[in-house]
Amino acid sequence: MTAGWVRCELTNFTLETEWEAGPGEVLVLYGPSGAGKTTTLRAIAGLVRPREGHIEVGGREVYDGGAKVWVAPHQRNVGYLTQQYNLFPHLTVGGNIRYGLSRQAAPEQRARVESLVGALQLEGMEGRRTWELSGGQQQRVALARALATNPAALLLDEPFSSLDAELRRAIRGEIRAILAQTNIPVILVTHDREEALALGDTVQVIDEGKTLDRGEPLRMLGQPGQGRVARLVGVENVLPMRVEDRYPQDGTMVCAMRDEPPPGQPRLRLEVPLSDFEIGSRLRVGIRASDVILAGEQLVSSSARNQLAGRVTGVEMRPPGYEVTLECSGVPFRCHITGRSLTEMAIRPGLELWAVFKASSCFMVGEEPAVGDRERDSPGTGDQILG
Amino acid sequence: MLRNLTRTASPWVPAGWAATVVYLVFIGLPVLGILVRAAQQSDFAASLTSSLTVQALQLSLVTSTISMGVVVVLGTPLALLLARSNATGLKAVDVLVELPIVLPPVVAGVAMLMAFGRQGLIGPALTGLGINLPFTTVAVVFAQVFVAAPFYIRAAKLGFQSVGREYEDISQTLGVSPWATFWRVTMPLAAPSILGGLALAWARAISEFGATIMFAGNLTGRTQTMPLAILTAMETDTGSALAMSALLLAGSLAVLIALGILGRRRWEGRS
Repeated sequence: MTAGWVRCELTNFTLETEWEAGPGEVLVLYGPSGAGKTTTLRAIAGLVRPREGHIEVGGREVYDGGAKVWVAPHQRNVGYLTQQYNLFPHLTVGGNIRYGLSRQAAPEQRARVESLVGALQLEGMEGRRTWELSGGQQQRVALARALATNPAALLLDEPFSSLDAELRRAIRGEIRAILAQTNIPVILVTHDREEALALGDTVQVIDEGKTLDRGEPLRMLGQPGQGRVARLVGVENVLPMRVEDRYPQDGTMVCAMRDEPPPGQPRLRLEVPLSDFEIGSRLRVGIRASDVILAGEQLVSSSARNQLAGRVTGVEMRPPGYEVTLECSGVPFRCHITGRSLTEMAIRPGLELWAVFKASSCFMVGEEPAVGDRERDSPGTGDQILG
Repeated sequence: MLRNLTRTASPWVPAGWAATVVYLVFIGLPVLGILVRAAQQSDFAASLTSSLTVQALQLSLVTSTISMGVVVVLGTPLALLLARSNATGLKAVDVLVELPIVLPPVVAGVAMLMAFGRQGLIGPALTGLGINLPFTTVAVVFAQVFVAAPFYIRAAKLGFQSVGREYEDISQTLGVSPWATFWRVTMPLAAPSILGGLALAWARAISEFGATIMFAGNLTGRTQTMPLAILTAMETDTGSALAMSALLLAGSLAVLIALGILGRRRWEGRS
C-alpha cells in the first residue's frame, strides 16, 4: 500500500494533499488540469521534492520532511506511466519491457518479459520499434515496462488521454482486468469523469492543491456533493444563495441570490427541496443545464416551481446540441437544448425567454455546515484520512 | 504522378535550376581540378609516401585525435550543463563558447600567443615551471581545440536538449540510477547529434591553419600539419601538395557522408 501527505509550493498555490491506497485498490485523483494531481504523483515517485510531508510506498518510508528521510527515485520501486508513454525510441518493444530488469539474470528477464507480453497481448512484437506501434499498443508496452519491476505502487498519469474515445474505452477495460490480477495499489490521475467512474475504487477530488472530498466513485461523481465538487463534476449553474423561507408542509424552501440584482430588476429567487439549512444560512444551489426548459412565454398553468425571465446573451455550439446563456436578474444561466429547438424557437441573442425547472432539479451545497452535514465536513485537513 | 500535379510550377524553379548549375560548376570545377591534376601526375604514389606528406599526415592524425579527446572530455559536461541548467551567467557562457566560430583563426593564434606566449599573460609563469608552449606539438593541439570545440559543444547541447526529461524520469522509476540513466538513455538518444558535432569538429581541427601557423609555427615533424605542409609544398613540390589536397578532399567527403548517415538516425519525431 502507499500512503502519505505532501506540501509543495507551486506557481499559483500551495499543494497540500494526502492519500492512501491499499493493496489492489485504485485511487483516482480527480480534478481539473493544474490542480496539483501530477505533482502529487511526481512527489510519490521522487521526481519532485516536497517542501514537507511524509511518503510511504509498500510499507517503506521513502520520504519524511521532519526526519530528513529521502529515498532516491530509482530506489523507490514505483511504476510510473505518463500521458505520452515515453517509450525509449532507441530500444525495441522487448528492450523497453526489459529495461528495468537489467540486474536480473537473462533467463529470469526472458521469463518476466514473456509473461508480460502474454498478459498484455503483445505477442510477436518484441522485436518491433516502438514508433511502429499504434497508440493502444504503445500504451500496453508502457504498462508492461512499468509492471516488469514488480512495483510496490503504480502511478498512472492520465494514461488514456492520447487515445481516441473508442480505443480509450476498450483499453480501460483491459487495464482494469490486468490491475485486478495484480495486488499493486494504483493511483490514477485523471480529469475525465467517465474514466474515474470506470476505474476507481475510491475517488479523491483535488482542486487548486487542496483535497475537497474523498469517497466512493458514485457518491463523489454520480451525485454532486459539496460546492466546489459540484462545480467540478460539470454542473453548469452554481448560484451563491441564502435561505429566505422554509415551507415544511410543501417540502420546499425559498432561496434568494446573495448578490444585489442590477438596478430595476427583481432579486432572483428559487424554490428548492427542503433540507436541514436554517433560514439565513448561506448555500450554493446547483442546477444542471440539461434540466432547464426554455419557454417563449411564462407557463401560466404548470407544475414547475421555478420560472425565471431572462434575455439570451449567448448561443454556443455544444455537441450534440447547443448551450444558451440566459441572463436573469444579472445572473448568467446556462441551458442545454437541441439544435432543432434552437431553430424552431429562433433563439438568438437579445431574445426574451423563460427558464423553467422543477424544485427537485435543484440541489444544495452548504457553505457553513448544515445540521446533518457536520460529521463529514472539513475535508482536506489530512489527519482524518491518514488516521 | 500525383505529386507532380498537386502544385503549379513556380517561376522560381527555373531560376533555382540555373543557380544550382552555376554553383555546382563553381564548387565542382576546383574539386575536379585537384583530382585531374593529381591523377595526371606520374609519381602520385611517390608523392603520397614522401617524407613531407607522411610526417604531416601522421602529425595531423595524432594531434586531431588528441584534440577530439580533449573536446569530448571538456565539451560533453559543458554541453550538458548548458542544455539543462538555467543558472545565471550560463547565457553569457553559451554565447562566449561560440566565439571561436566567428573569430578569424589568425586572431585566435595571436590571442593564444598573448596568453601562453613568452610575453603572454601567463607565459612567464609557465616558463618558470619549465613549460614552453608556443611552437610545440602541444600548441597545435591547443589551436585545434580552440577552433574546433564550439562545433562539438553546440551540437552536443542541441542533442541533450532534444532528449525529453520524461525519458530520464521514467528510467529512474524503473530502478536505474541517474548515472546509469545517462549512459542508457540520455547518451544514446543524443548520440546522432553528438557524433555529428564530433565529425564537424574533427573536420575543423584537421583543416586548422591560421591559429596553428601563428601559435605553433610551421616546423616539419613537430607542428607542420597537413594544411601547413600543403602551403610549404606548393612552393617547391606541387606534386606532394596535390597528393595531400586529394587526401584531405577524400577525408572531407567521408565526413559529409558520415553526417548524412547520422542525419537519418534522429530519434525525435519518431516516437
